[in-house]
Amino acid sequence: MQNPISRRSLLKSASGGFGYLALAGLLGQHAPAAIAQHPLLPKAPHFPPRAKRIIFVFMEGAMSGVDTFDYKAELQKNGGKGGPGGGTLTASKFAFKQYGQTGSWFSELLPNIAQHADKLCWLRGLHTDTPAHPQAVVQLHTGSANAALTRPSMGAWLLYGLGTDNQDLPGYVTINPSPNFGGAVNYGSAFLPSHFQGTRITDAGFLPNIKAASTTALQRKQIDLIQAMNRDFAATPGAPDPVEGIIESYETGFRMQGKVPELLDISKEPQDVREAYGIKDGPGGSFARQCLMARRLSEAGVRFVEITQGGWDHHNNLHKGLIDRTGSVDQPTAALLADLEQRGLLEDTLVLFGSEFGRQPTAQGPDGRDHNITGYSMFLAGAGVKKGFTYGGTDEFGIKAVEGRMHTNDLHATLLALLGLNHEQLTYRYAGRDFRLTDVAGEVVKDIIA
Amino acid sequence: MSPKLITAAAVLASFAATALALETATDEAKVEFFEKKVRPILVDHCYHCHSADTKPAGGLRVDDRNGLLIGGDAGAAIVAGDPDKSLLIERVLHENPKRKMPKEGELLTEAEVDVLKQWIRDGLAWPRERIPAYIGKKRPDFEKLKAEHWAWQPLQNPKPPEVADAKWARDDVDRFIRATLEAKGLKPVADADAATLVRRVKFDLTGLPPTPEEIEAFKNDRSPDAFSKLVDRLLASPQFGERWGRHWLDVARYGESTGPSRNIPYPHAWKYRDYVIDAVNRDVPFDRFLREQIAGDLLPAANDAERNRQLTATGFLALGVKDVNQRFKTRFLMDNVDEQIDTVSRSVLALTVSCARCHDHKFDPIPVTDYYALAGIFSSTENAAGVRNKMGGGGLDYYDPAALVRLAGDTAAASPQQLAKLKADLAVAKKAWDEIRGTPEGLKLAPDGKPTQRPFRLKYETLQTELNSFTDPAERGLAVHGVREGKTIGDTEVRIRGEAERIGPTVPRGYLTTFAVPEAQPVDPQHSGRLELARWLTSPRNPLTARVAVNRVWQNLFGTGLVSTVDNFGVKGDVPSHPELLDFLAQRFIREGWSVKKLVRELTLTHAYQLGTDAPAKLHDIDPENRLVWRHSPRRLSAEELRDAILVTAGRLDTKPAGPSPVKELKMIEMRDNGPEARKVVEAADNAVARSVYLPLLRGVTPKALEAFDPVCQTLVSGRRESTTVPTQALYFLNSTFVRQQALALAERLLGSEAKSNSERIEAAYSLVLGRQPTSAELDRTARFLDDYAASFEVGETALQQIASAQAASGESAGASAATAPPGQAVNPDDVERTPELAKEAPVKPKDTASVAWMSFVQALYASAEFRFVP
Repeated sequence: MQNPISRRSLLKSASGGFGYLALAGLLGQHAPAAIAQHPLLPKAPHFPPRAKRIIFVFMEGAMSGVDTFDYKAELQKNGGKGGPGGGTLTASKFAFKQYGQTGSWFSELLPNIAQHADKLCWLRGLHTDTPAHPQAVVQLHTGSANAALTRPSMGAWLLYGLGTDNQDLPGYVTINPSPNFGGAVNYGSAFLPSHFQGTRITDAGFLPNIKAASTTALQRKQIDLIQAMNRDFAATPGAPDPVEGIIESYETGFRMQGKVPELLDISKEPQDVREAYGIKDGPGGSFARQCLMARRLSEAGVRFVEITQGGWDHHNNLHKGLIDRTGSVDQPTAALLADLEQRGLLEDTLVLFGSEFGRQPTAQGPDGRDHNITGYSMFLAGAGVKKGFTYGGTDEFGIKAVEGRMHTNDLHATLLALLGLNHEQLTYRYAGRDFRLTDVAGEVVKDIIA
Repeated sequence: MSPKLITAAAVLASFAATALALETATDEAKVEFFEKKVRPILVDHCYHCHSADTKPAGGLRVDDRNGLLIGGDAGAAIVAGDPDKSLLIERVLHENPKRKMPKEGELLTEAEVDVLKQWIRDGLAWPRERIPAYIGKKRPDFEKLKAEHWAWQPLQNPKPPEVADAKWARDDVDRFIRATLEAKGLKPVADADAATLVRRVKFDLTGLPPTPEEIEAFKNDRSPDAFSKLVDRLLASPQFGERWGRHWLDVARYGESTGPSRNIPYPHAWKYRDYVIDAVNRDVPFDRFLREQIAGDLLPAANDAERNRQLTATGFLALGVKDVNQRFKTRFLMDNVDEQIDTVSRSVLALTVSCARCHDHKFDPIPVTDYYALAGIFSSTENAAGVRNKMGGGGLDYYDPAALVRLAGDTAAASPQQLAKLKADLAVAKKAWDEIRGTPEGLKLAPDGKPTQRPFRLKYETLQTELNSFTDPAERGLAVHGVREGKTIGDTEVRIRGEAERIGPTVPRGYLTTFAVPEAQPVDPQHSGRLELARWLTSPRNPLTARVAVNRVWQNLFGTGLVSTVDNFGVKGDVPSHPELLDFLAQRFIREGWSVKKLVRELTLTHAYQLGTDAPAKLHDIDPENRLVWRHSPRRLSAEELRDAILVTAGRLDTKPAGPSPVKELKMIEMRDNGPEARKVVEAADNAVARSVYLPLLRGVTPKALEAFDPVCQTLVSGRRESTTVPTQALYFLNSTFVRQQALALAERLLGSEAKSNSERIEAAYSLVLGRQPTSAELDRTARFLDDYAASFEVGETALQQIASAQAASGESAGASAATAPPGQAVNPDDVERTPELAKEAPVKPKDTASVAWMSFVQALYASAEFRFVP
């Protein structure tokens, strides 16, 4: 800038209606102090991004792949025989069929997701470090299974690296996250400043302090008084720098009160949309409501949205349990993909679907499968990834990833790359060292990028 | 001394030799036999359930030599040299039909069993770790850093410099500050006025705002020692310990639960918190304060009370984050050791020693061998936090009452007969549970849709809890989380790449080689070495401890440390803005008996501390961060100060110490952060009117009244708080029940007071909340606001209705859907309720229109930027 305008004078001249985006446009990357004051403003990525935002559809507890989307012909043939690493191979009780031009296999449990076969990008060679939910869930969310040294969650890293487009909304929202398995760590900011942490809401759209405590008119009067006091204070000699940020925060907060509850209110969605998602009240409808809220939040510019369906830990009751859980997940997930596509949002939104690890093709007890960290699948769909594509794979039974192996760190490196961030450059200095989401590892899997 | 130990003198030279001298007989033929014959058997038959890639069933790992020797739940799997005594052989021979292996798949052939026996007989050959060449090597770059980096050079005795404006300086500290300013041709701004000064020092020393009476009294006190009298009074008040104790609790990463990944409450942690507050109030010399926390159990004690106090102090080492779900005991132990090394080294030395766990420190001259010299001290120490590691599991599985530190006192319990009966019943219940647990029969669903084994578990747990209530001193308030000397004392080995199982050469216990502490005592081989470590740390000749301590105090009074990176004095940390002043302060601190109160007193009485906040552009442009102290930088209040200031001005703060934390009522059972236990604790925090330092601090469950204002990260040493500005803070002031409740309380106080006019009421409100009188413009503006606000709800709906309906719509009491397990689905302990149990909040009910308008005004005062800053 030829004539740098002081931030203070700029803000003073813009008394009242502060436009965050206008401000961002004016200051761009040229004013680090302003960025420090407004840490959630959009920031330039390291290189052109392929996706702008992520929806993470988390199947917490480890969904069984060989019963749903990991068809293993050899497993189906060899049920009852000993597995190569011990245990008894157990064929899936569910019928599999091929879908789409890609001929992808899905079991009868996922007839709706199967309709999207040709737009999914499968990662079938995933592996992780710890076959215990708490550590694996934390590792999937923060990159590290070392629970004793809490790391920031991937959504927090994304906000730190990219900011968020809509300053009237939280940039990172997680709906009904795991209350254990790390709990708040999974959407926390750890040593990153706390404004990068995820905002937890319930599947009823509840967010603390978001509803105005009085009517709009009365509250506006009150805010006007607060702002008059704040402007006086800002004008005193030696006033602290953050005062202007505080003035803005009241305007933003005031707007959020109007927008956030409206955004989370899915009751106003047209009937056909609600039916497509299978919206219903009660616990059975929780995941469908989360899917629809996720679409609305992403559409409004939220950088990272996570939704969660738990209850996949089928050490026993595998058969009925899977019918039940896929029954609440299949239709809403398919509807979410269709809805995003129809609105053009799949062009710049990336969907990630899957669990913290997989389950064994061998039996555990009469009707169960144990954890498997040596080979499992997740899928990506939407912005930046190849359609109808499969990367990596496990052995003939689905025990171990044998090709296209991808560790959790590689997954994170690849997700960051899709968002335009170099995982080795996205660092934060803490306790004397530079931390990364990918710790000291991680390779971007370029093959899956469209 | 065990034969595998090596002397300190020989340590560097003999690494290569010691690596070979590990107990393992590793001649090539035996290792080859293992690789060709033994390992394939283990891989084919055992790895499926007993390796690092699986949940090791029964806690046993067969892919790690130590894993076999330590064994699982049933004890050591192998006795080296003795196949007949090895459980592994017994199981594969199927001698016990209920305990045979492998559980599934093919049995071992006779030939395979013979191979295993042969291998055991030959001493359990295992391929030797390749020891990275750098371990134990002298590094010239480290030698250079040791000689050059400022932080670990011995303390100097700098003379206070001469300054041109000699009258300005009130203390030697001022001479250092003023001389640096003069060298840059700068002059400090004018002094703060009396009202500013009393507000600043009251918040800085006690975390509370001054009362209007205190402000008036100070303004009217014309005596030359008015300020020092005020400082002395504040230092002597119990509120000093509540504020400065909290500073140390930040550094000590204090928390009342284990944190991720299974969050187990620490029900006795609050005793450590109270110990800290008490020690600060009694001005326990800082060196002694450190020794008590690191080795309080090893210090002499005159009586039970003193012993209990010192044992409680060791909570410092025990209250860290712990991963109780860690599958492998050795990793659990080494992770906890690491947590202690990190906490001690960063809090006391501001060095990131933990970086040397996996390799030599990347920046600072801390070799990996230094790390393991310290690790030996902590691995010879029992981390008696009351928890054990366990994979999976629920209920009291993670609780180990024996692993708590017992305090002296009375333990009158049940009668011996009662106890005997309970123990017998428990034994029966435990046996029944062990037998059915995890069996096909146990997992079968009962008619109620739950596994058949469930009632067995519940019965066992109920009896265990009952027994605990009689026998567990913790149940009687006579236990703390702390440390004690370990059952085995000895040096430990370098772990290759920090992996607990990959054993390298043994390192003698000792201290950092980064700098020398003359006359330090070596570790006593008969003991862990914690006491010697504590003395090494607090030696007056340790170059870092006093520097780090005075720097933290400086930060807490001036906003930024002389070294801004208060927790890192290493090469990647900041350099001191006033190096000579730092040493001067450190030396004086030691000389004056490590008294924090004296140091605080001296610093607050400096001219530098009493400067105004004005920021002329000329000075601001040259030094925007005010590192040279040309003014006093205003400071954003901490989350605790904001809450306390709201409560005290509303007339609702209870200034008495709060006593036990609500966490005391929790069992050491995994807690969900949205479950009923957390809800109870959150509600207790919501309703508390004690000072914020006493609020319950479960990791992951932050009290709502602190959440918005950058509460401390309870995971690691945090000597510095963040200070962010985000819209959720605005929403908190506008809409939270807490702020509105207190605003209403103050509004009603104002309305019920004897004030003769609204002007007087407004003046009283300004004076209470902001510590000053309103200007006439502010008086007018407020009066207009009150009129306007009242008038706007006389049209149409009444204000009360409007407020009530807004509250009804706020959804704060709206129960979200419950996610219960569908019928017929087994209840998995890990498959938990996802819908949070929302804490119930009392509605805020103003009684008439006047209260509403005044409440809204008071709330605006709290919400103002001015209230958030101390000048």
